Amino acid sequence: MSEKIYAWLLRLYPSRFRETYGDEALQLFRDRARDERGFFPQLRLWSDLIGDLANSLPGEYLHIQPGVVGASAQPRFAGIPSFFFVREELPRPGALLFGCMMSLLTLTAIWGSLNSAGNYRAVRRLASRQSPGPSTSTQQPLPQLRPMDAAATMPAVTENGKLDTAEKQRVINGAINNLKRHYVYPDAAQKTAESLLVHEMNGDDDPITDGAAFARLLTSQMRDASDDMHLEVVYSEAPLPEHPSGPTAEDLERYRQAMEQGNCTFEKVEILPHNIGYLKLNSFPDPSVCEATARAAMNRLNDVDAIIFDLRDNRGGEPDMVMLMAAYLFDHPEYMYNPRENTTERSWTRSPVPGNRLADKPAFLLTSRSTASGAEHFSYDLKMLKRATLVGETTAGAAHSGVWHRIDEHFGMGITETKPINPFSKTDWAIVGVEPDVTVKAADALKTAQKLAVRRLQKR
Amino acid sequence: MPKRKLHPLPAAAFQILLSLVGEDLHGYGIMRQVAAQTDGRMRLGPGTLYSSIQTLLEGKFIEEVDVREDANLGQERRRYYRLTVAGRKLARSEAERLAGLLRVARTKKVLRGEYV
Repeated sequence: MSEKIYAWLLRLYPSRFRETYGDEALQLFRDRARDERGFFPQLRLWSDLIGDLANSLPGEYLHIQPGVVGASAQPRFAGIPSFFFVREELPRPGALLFGCMMSLLTLTAIWGSLNSAGNYRAVRRLASRQSPGPSTSTQQPLPQLRPMDAAATMPAVTENGKLDTAEKQRVINGAINNLKRHYVYPDAAQKTAESLLVHEMNGDDDPITDGAAFARLLTSQMRDASDDMHLEVVYSEAPLPEHPSGPTAEDLERYRQAMEQGNCTFEKVEILPHNIGYLKLNSFPDPSVCEATARAAMNRLNDVDAIIFDLRDNRGGEPDMVMLMAAYLFDHPEYMYNPRENTTERSWTRSPVPGNRLADKPAFLLTSRSTASGAEHFSYDLKMLKRATLVGETTAGAAHSGVWHRIDEHFGMGITETKPINPFSKTDWAIVGVEPDVTVKAADALKTAQKLAVRRLQKR
Repeated sequence: MPKRKLHPLPAAAFQILLSLVGEDLHGYGIMRQVAAQTDGRMRLGPGTLYSSIQTLLEGKFIEEVDVREDANLGQERRRYYRLTVAGRKLARSEAERLAGLLRVARTKKVLRGEYV
């Protein structure tokens, strides 16, 4: 048995060494094994062999030289190149097997990484399914699909991607029908529809042949007429599904796993000097998956004297999580305005949270140009309620509160269908974003907020 | 591709040259002789032994003499090696180099005893 092991180890040497000395090496092993019997001599033998292997193996490979098996028959003259043939070795079956295994492993790894990139897209789509992000074709979750219009069956884009007048006409008619049918303000719907027609008749739409530019033009025409920043027309190069399916059980499971692996995007929960709590939250994840993580984070910060929420990398998420987090900052139920939802009992925070001590502590929110959607919901309301000081940059301005309607294969639109009460001002953060109380570069926001917090605590 | 070096002479190669002074030996014989002449401190493993032998053969410091059985070790046929004149010279020059070193060590009082 031990001889077999050594024979196997010998195969680690280059083939030329094995051919010349393999048998003798094995013979030497047999001699020593026969002469050195007993536990300790055997142990010494094996330690010698392993040491020998480690010592001599690199040298053998360093000095490996292919044997010359043939040479040009022509006589050699100075300056004239001649050719030799080096011996070719067929790879051993073991080496071939090893090569196959490595290739398989590499291919599996590539396949795996491609697949996980796919998952990431799925998670993104899932994470924004209630709060659509920037209106690109890949992020159009908006599950509340309404019946299609007549135009929906006709493709609006020709083969070469250019729009012609008839197709534009169809998109405009589709938009008008949707406005009249679904827009929450009937008067404005009428006015906006007329405006679209007037623009069309005046030939304002004629120079445009590009889908995306046409969508932008219609959006601005509708916003001018209605003064409603939530109305928009969206162009998608990729065909829009007629009946977008909601997330599957598999999508939800992937989302749950991604959230568990990423600590539900609660990236940092720390207590900074002067007993200032610091929470870096990179989204507002679904409470059905992340409520425990959220509560654990807030409990850890329960005894701080001031709290900083870092939303600089937060692009939004679930309104329910916004409400859950905001609940910790009040000792009574507080109304939080959300342009996406009609005012219901869900519009009030579930404060006080039992055992919570943060309700009267100074709060600071760090914002950046990337702070979007749900994070703007959180920032806008806490700013308007004068419950938090916003430090950083004006936010992205992504409200996207309209309900999605498909116009045809490449065009869709967002239409406001809710009438929530905004007690703070006429407009919200749609397009314009939330302005901070203290404007500094996003990179300096944490330092500034810490200074402000210390000053506030010293005054107390 | 770098060639195997014998300058400076590796300890294993020197011990193999010394073991072959006076008698022809096969691989296992060399290994046992080296162990004996170093009081068991150097036990050459097959890899080191045969790569050293190969180097010494390439430099013509040793040569293969014949393939025969060793009466004490059964029926197996073994390759025997013999020291060449060049090998003997190489062993002597290495021994002289070491002796020179030893003299230095003694003058510096690192080592006591007679001059060699």
